Amino acid sequence: MTRGSRRPAGPRTAGAAARGPLHRRWWSPYLFLAPGLAAVALFGLWPFANTVVLSFTDARILTGGGFVGLGNYRRALADPDFWTAAGNSVLYLLVVVPCLVLLPLALAVLVQARVPGIGFFRSAYYTPVIASAVVVGLVWQWVLRSDGLVNTVFLRLRIVSEPVPFLTDSTMLLVSAMLVTVWKGLGYYMVFYLAALGNVPASLHEAAALDGAGPVRRFVHITVPQVKPMMLLVGTLSAVSALRVFTEVYILGGESGGPGGGARTLPFLIRQVGLGFAGETGYASAISLLLFLLTLAFSLLGRRLARGDET
Amino acid sequence: MNRSHLPARPPRPRRTTARAALLAGVLLAAGACGLDGAPDGGETRRTGKASGEITFRTLQLKPTYTAYVQGVVDAFEAEHPGVRVRWEDVPGGGYNEKLVADAQAGALPDVVNLNTDSFQLLADRGLLADVAALDPGAAKEYIPGAWEQFKLPGRGDSVFAYPWYVTPEILTYNQELFRASGLDPDRPPTTVEQFFDHADRIAERSGGRYAAFMADPKGRLPGDWQKMGVPILNAARDRFAFDTPEAVAWVERMKSLYAKGAMPKESLLTSDDVNQLYGSGKLVFGPGSPGFVRDIKQNAPQVYADTRVAGAVTGRLGHIGIYAQSLGIRKSTRHPDAAIAFARWVTNGPNQVEFSRNATVYPSSAQGLADPRFADRGDGRDADTVARAVGAEQLKTAALDANTPVEWTNQVGDAVVREVQKAIKGEQDAATAVRRAQEEADKLLADAARR
Repeated sequence: MTRGSRRPAGPRTAGAAARGPLHRRWWSPYLFLAPGLAAVALFGLWPFANTVVLSFTDARILTGGGFVGLGNYRRALADPDFWTAAGNSVLYLLVVVPCLVLLPLALAVLVQARVPGIGFFRSAYYTPVIASAVVVGLVWQWVLRSDGLVNTVFLRLRIVSEPVPFLTDSTMLLVSAMLVTVWKGLGYYMVFYLAALGNVPASLHEAAALDGAGPVRRFVHITVPQVKPMMLLVGTLSAVSALRVFTEVYILGGESGGPGGGARTLPFLIRQVGLGFAGETGYASAISLLLFLLTLAFSLLGRRLARGDET
Repeated sequence: MNRSHLPARPPRPRRTTARAALLAGVLLAAGACGLDGAPDGGETRRTGKASGEITFRTLQLKPTYTAYVQGVVDAFEAEHPGVRVRWEDVPGGGYNEKLVADAQAGALPDVVNLNTDSFQLLADRGLLADVAALDPGAAKEYIPGAWEQFKLPGRGDSVFAYPWYVTPEILTYNQELFRASGLDPDRPPTTVEQFFDHADRIAERSGGRYAAFMADPKGRLPGDWQKMGVPILNAARDRFAFDTPEAVAWVERMKSLYAKGAMPKESLLTSDDVNQLYGSGKLVFGPGSPGFVRDIKQNAPQVYADTRVAGAVTGRLGHIGIYAQSLGIRKSTRHPDAAIAFARWVTNGPNQVEFSRNATVYPSSAQGLADPRFADRGDGRDADTVARAVGAEQLKTAALDANTPVEWTNQVGDAVVREVQKAIKGEQDAATAVRRAQEEADKLLADAARR
């Protein structure tokens, strides 16, 4: 028997011919994946890997740097500015996330109703989402200044005797920035909830209504459990966003991040440390990595909660 | 899937080799992209013959000044047939970052427009040619104050850029608000201390309707301290030395004035639109720049009518601030003669006078500044015309501030401003603020020196 006669050549050859020449090559799927993988590697993995490498050096913008081991990490952990910024970022997360999980849900329930003109409200709540963060920040700056809208109203109504330092006190500045973040995020997450609410079977509400459950009980016992997976998703997404907050604090509080830099968040500190000719690229990279670990921890926590909910 | 028909996999050792090669490539690339940025080195030597193609980079002059700059370039090429100038203009945003990237890549332009920050950093790192050594006759062509701006501490008589267009500090104020505050518009403040006294009076009389000046310490430091004679660095330039009673007094005055409402509250932190505040009659002192006067003339004619101009506020040393743009020559340029000839051409008297007709700038060239248009005060009523004359007069006669020291980096400035802000807000006392500011600044300086 010849070698050729041992191979089950007939059916395979015919099949391969039917599928076309590219399918005969083991690497053809990779050919199609290559452009995407290259883009991910170039713009995602490579900068990340470079940041990791830089975080172990004392690199500066112009002078390059040498290996310093864990020096930058030790420095960060002993740096009061780092702890202030980390504390502000975590505080931001702890305040903003519950607001962004609950308020858009309430809003979605309200605008879910099919009444004339509801489309206007849905659009109105969504408008801040498409507005630039800078524009939003500027508008709120005018609203919250010591001679701005809110203080003028408060003073005229004699609610306060001195303008409230919304933007010139570190704590108030952080609260103001949180307010802007929540305001801007409401419409975005409302859309998520509208999609989830659309999947809640109407029969559940009808049955509960027949059993005498009022709107509040129906919301607590039917709506909330049904949209819980979406709440967890919103919680995770808003937590990641909260840890990345920069623009709101920058626009409202200026480039020092509040008086004495007291309202700086971690991204703010990274920018401040790494920017300019004297920018410490290595140290800024180390803080970025610490922020990444913090974000990863909260994301894993979100996943764990979601998994616990499924079981 | 049956894998028997697939080509045999390469032997394992070859894959390991490929991985190792890939890793090595990545690490090499990492080195190339920031771990060992190689500065532009090499010595500049003149050949005596201006020829070749040179690159000329400007900072945000297109499209407003395209015709002017292109005209200067064309005229130069006509005069020097062996030289070709490739002009590139870069927007202001990210200009310094682009210079950094080019410096790392060894690709700085032959003739480059530098602002104060970029000049100091590039010159300090040895990336710019010493034009005083390469072009010994140049010094006498420029006004001394501008020429001196481009020396570096500890580098003797070396000058690392040709002065180009300059803007001196002046004083601008609203005379109507002066009167309303019981101040004499004909007697504006001349020292930092008098300036604070005026602000004090304004805060007392305004009742919150208008403020005296912007609080932002970043805009005032270290200039105010330099004017008051506060030493910024010690003689060895290895430690900061501004922790002095004068600096503490400055912070205490700022704190007191802020509490009284002499400055808009938010101006301590954010860069409020000073033109808008001044243009709406809510601010007595405008920024000290002649360009500002022209802006007000165009945008707020009513307030412009009340605007007065005077010589800059100085201090014990009689210094004023000067903002200068310069033309640096890349140290490793292949065509030093062409680059020097071109930089001299751009900054010569006639070309600079022509530029000042298009923009609110002053010539750094002594011949240019002697042009009659800079002495003309008109009838003394038009603030724009008076500003031009006052600015030019100061450029000729006043002692000009040395540059902010190279050691006063952005990080140092930020650290000082943060401590001072806390004191102005009343969150810590002035002495503590200045002491902490100096400690922070020293720490940053020591960190930088270690590298």
